[in-house]
Amino acid sequence: MSATVSTPAGTMPSSRDWEKKVDDVRPSKSDMNTMVMNYLIIGGYPSAAKKFAQEAGIQSQIDLTSIEKRNQICTSIHHGNIKSAIELINDFEPELLESHPSLHFALLRLQLIELIRVSMEDNDIGPALTFAQDYLAPRAPQYPEFLRDLEHTMALLCFPPDQLSPPLAKLLDPDMRKQVASLVNETILQSQEVFPEPKVKSLVRLRAWVEAKAAQSESERLRSIPHLDLGLVAPRGEFPEPSKL
Amino acid sequence: MASGSSYHTVAAGGTSTVVPRPQGSSWASIVSGQPSRPRIPSSTPTGLRSQRNGSYANLSDLGSQSGRYYNTALSNAFNTHSKLSRLPVSLPSYLEDSLYAEKLDSARDLSWSSGVPSRSASLASFGPHAAQSRGTGMKLDVKDTISSPDDDLPTPLPTKWNENDKSGGVEVSQDGLNVQFLAATGPTKVNEYDSASVRADHFIPRSCGVYYFEVTIMNKSREGLISIGFCGADVQLNRLPGWEPNSWGYHGDDGKSFCCSGMGKAYGPQFNSKDVIGCGINFRTHTAFFTRNGQMLGTAFRDLPNDRKIFPAVGMKKPGEHIRVNFGQEEFSYDIDGYTKAERKSALQEISDTVVESLCPPYDEEALIQSLVSSYLQHDGFVETAKAFALDLQAEKDALSQSGKSKPLELMEDENAVHRQNIRSAIFEGDIDRALELTQSHYPDVLERNEQINFRLRCRKFIEMMRQSAEATNGRKKSQPSTSKRRAFDAYGDDEDEDVDMDGEDSRSDMDVDDPADVTGPAVPDFDLLGKVLEYGRQLQEDFKDKPELQEEMEEVFSLFAYSNPMTSPMAHLLSEEGRGPVAEALNSAILVSLGKSSKAPLERIVQQTTILLRELGEEGGPASFVNLHHWIHNVECLPNS
Repeated sequence: MSATVSTPAGTMPSSRDWEKKVDDVRPSKSDMNTMVMNYLIIGGYPSAAKKFAQEAGIQSQIDLTSIEKRNQICTSIHHGNIKSAIELINDFEPELLESHPSLHFALLRLQLIELIRVSMEDNDIGPALTFAQDYLAPRAPQYPEFLRDLEHTMALLCFPPDQLSPPLAKLLDPDMRKQVASLVNETILQSQEVFPEPKVKSLVRLRAWVEAKAAQSESERLRSIPHLDLGLVAPRGEFPEPSKL
Repeated sequence: MASGSSYHTVAAGGTSTVVPRPQGSSWASIVSGQPSRPRIPSSTPTGLRSQRNGSYANLSDLGSQSGRYYNTALSNAFNTHSKLSRLPVSLPSYLEDSLYAEKLDSARDLSWSSGVPSRSASLASFGPHAAQSRGTGMKLDVKDTISSPDDDLPTPLPTKWNENDKSGGVEVSQDGLNVQFLAATGPTKVNEYDSASVRADHFIPRSCGVYYFEVTIMNKSREGLISIGFCGADVQLNRLPGWEPNSWGYHGDDGKSFCCSGMGKAYGPQFNSKDVIGCGINFRTHTAFFTRNGQMLGTAFRDLPNDRKIFPAVGMKKPGEHIRVNFGQEEFSYDIDGYTKAERKSALQEISDTVVESLCPPYDEEALIQSLVSSYLQHDGFVETAKAFALDLQAEKDALSQSGKSKPLELMEDENAVHRQNIRSAIFEGDIDRALELTQSHYPDVLERNEQINFRLRCRKFIEMMRQSAEATNGRKKSQPSTSKRRAFDAYGDDEDEDVDMDGEDSRSDMDVDDPADVTGPAVPDFDLLGKVLEYGRQLQEDFKDKPELQEEMEEVFSLFAYSNPMTSPMAHLLSEEGRGPVAEALNSAILVSLGKSSKAPLERIVQQTTILLRELGEEGGPASFVNLHHWIHNVECLPNS
C-alpha cells in the first residue's frame, strides 16, 4: 500500500523525489565497514586488511595468515609460477588438491600452458610435451572434460603463435591465470568454511537486479524511477582504471 | 491474553532476552535522592522524559544481546508515534529475513533516532559471521532532521479477527483469536441458509513475500462446514470464503478448494475436530497452499491477483462450529520457516545470476567493485588503507602484465584526505579538542555552517570529560593513552591541568583496579574534575540554549551528572567509545560537503539506492520481498549457494 499512498493518484514522484528518498536512507557505518573488511579478507589483500582494521577500529580477530597465504598463492599464479603455487597450496592446505581433482587439473593445465608459452619463445616443445605426458595424460581419462581441455590445450602446439584462433588465443591470455587464481582462492575459502563471494559483489548484483526489475515492472510508478547515478566519477589516479589489461 | 507479549518468546526460542529497567530515570528524582552530588546549575533544564530514556537504555541492552527481539516496554516508546504503535513488536521467525522485517527495523530506527549515538550497537550483529569482521558498531546517525515519510512505514500484520468486520452469525472471543458460530436465536438471528464469515484486522503486506497462518478446528458440526482462506476487503461476509469473487477458501465439509466460485475442486481431506489447518500465500509465485496437521497439501490456487489487498478470513455455517487462529503468536505446526527458506533461496539465486556489466559502463564487475571499495576508503578518510589497497591492486596488475611492469599507479596525495584522516583519528582517540582545532584551521566554515555537528562535537567532548571523571573516580584501568586524557581538559588552559591529572592518578590507585563495577558506595568523586565538567556543561548549555531542537539531546547527556557512577548507570551507553564513530562520520561528511563532494561514497549510494528500490519492488511481493538488505550484509546463511 505504501506504493500508492505517498502520491496523489495520477502523479508520479519526480526525479527529485526519488533522489530525496534515496538520500533519506542512512546506511549504517558498521554495515559499510563490515562489507569492506569482508571484501579485503576474501579478496586476499593482506596489507589493506591490516590497515583497515586499524583505521576503522575493527577489533575482532582477523585471520591474517589465511589472507597472506592466499595472497602468496594467487600472486604466484598471476606470475605464471604454477609450480611454486602448487607447493604453497600443499604446504598450507595439504588435502586441498587431492580432494578437488578438477582444481588440481586446472592448475596442471595452466602449468602446461605456461610451458607452451615458453616453448614458443625457445622453439623447444620438449619440456611441454614431457610435462603433458607425465602429469596430465594420466589424469585426463578420469573425466571427459579433462580430456577435452587437454586436447584443446595441446592444439596450441600445432599453430604458430600469430595464427591462433580466438578460443586458443584465450588460453594464453593472462585472464586465464586470473581465473585459476580466483578458483584456488574460492576453494581454499570454502575449505575454511568461509563463504567465498564478497558481499560487495552480491550487493552490486543486487543493485543491478533491482534496477532491471523495476524497469520491467508492470507498475508505472516503478517504471518511472530514473536511473540513479552511482556517483562514481573517476578522476585520473584516484580510482583504479577498468581492469582491461 | 494479549498476543503481542508472547511473540518474541516464540521467535527467541522460549527465552526473553530483555532486562526490565527500573523506573525513574528522570534525573530530578534521582538527584534529590543523592545529596552528595554537585548542585545542578539552575539553567539546566530538568524533567527528562523518563519514558524516552527508558527506551534508550533498553535499546542498548537489547542491542548487545540480541538485536532482534523487542519487548513491550519498547513498544511503549512507539506510542508517541501512533502509526508505529500499531506495528508488530516482533515477528514470527519465518518473516525475520523478509523485506517486511527490514522495513520494520528501519521504521523503528527512525522513530527513536534523535541523533544520539547510544543505540549504535543495536543493529550491529547478526549471524555467526558478523563477529568476524564487524566494525566498532559505528552507526551513521548524522541526519539533521528526522524524516519519516508515512509511505515508508510498513503496514501492520494481521493479529486477530476483526470484531467490526464480521457477519452477525459469528462471535469473536475477547482475545480476538476464537470464532464461534452463533445458535440461531436471539436478536442476531441468522437466516439458516446464511453462512457467516470474519476478516482479520489487517490486510497482508506483500513485502512479507510469504504469509502464513494456522487455524485449529476447536469443534465442528456434523457437516463441518468451515472455510479457511482469504478475501478482499469488500467481499460479503454472509458467504463462505471461496464462493464469492475475490475470495478463496478450503472447505472442511467436502475438502474442496473454492476459487471465487460456487464450484469447488477436489483438494484435500475433510476437517476433523482438533485438526490444524494452515493457509499460506506466496506473493512471489502468486499461489496459495494449505497444510493439515503440519503436512503440506500442495498448491490450491494459482494466478492470484497482485493488485488487491487481501485479508485472512474464516467462515462457517452450522451451530457448534468453533475455530481458533494462530497468526504467529504461537509456534506453527507446519515448518513454514523451511518453506520460506527454500523460497528465499530461489529468489536470491535469480538475483545472483544477474549480469552487472550494464550498471556503470565502462566498468566491468571486477573493476566496478575495486573502484567502489577504493573510493569508499578515500571518501571516508581511510588514507592508509586506501594506499595499501592501491598498492595491492597494482601488484596484482603487474604480476598479470606480460610486458613486465606496467605504469605505476599514480597515487594522488590528497592533503584533504590526510586532514580528514587526522580529524577522524583525533575523535576516535577521544581527543575532541584536537579535532575541533584541526577542523577550525583547515575548514573554518564547517563548524559555523553545521551547528548540529558543532553541537555534537561539543557534547562528545562533555562525554569524554565525563568518562575521565568517572574513570578517575572508579579507578578504572586506563583505556586511553594519557595524552588524550589530558587533552580533553586543555580547553581550560589554566595551570591546574597537572593537578587534575595527579588527582586522577591518586584516587585511581586507591581503588580495586580489576573490578570497577564493584565500586559503588565508597567512590568519592573528584570534585575538581567534576567541577570542570560542570563548567563545560554550563557553557554548552549557554551556547545552545536558543536551540529547542537540541535540548532533548543535551538533557540526556547532562543526565550523566545524576549518577554517582555513570559507568554503571542506566545512561552508561552514552559514555561508550562506540559513540565516537558516528560523530567522526558526521564531521567527515560535513567536510566533504564543504569541499563540494558528495557526502556519501558511491558504495554507500548503492546501499541507499538498493534499499529504496527493494522497498518499492517488494511492495509487489516479488522476489525482492525476500531480501532484507541489512541481514544480507551480515548474515552469510541467507546468501545463495550456501
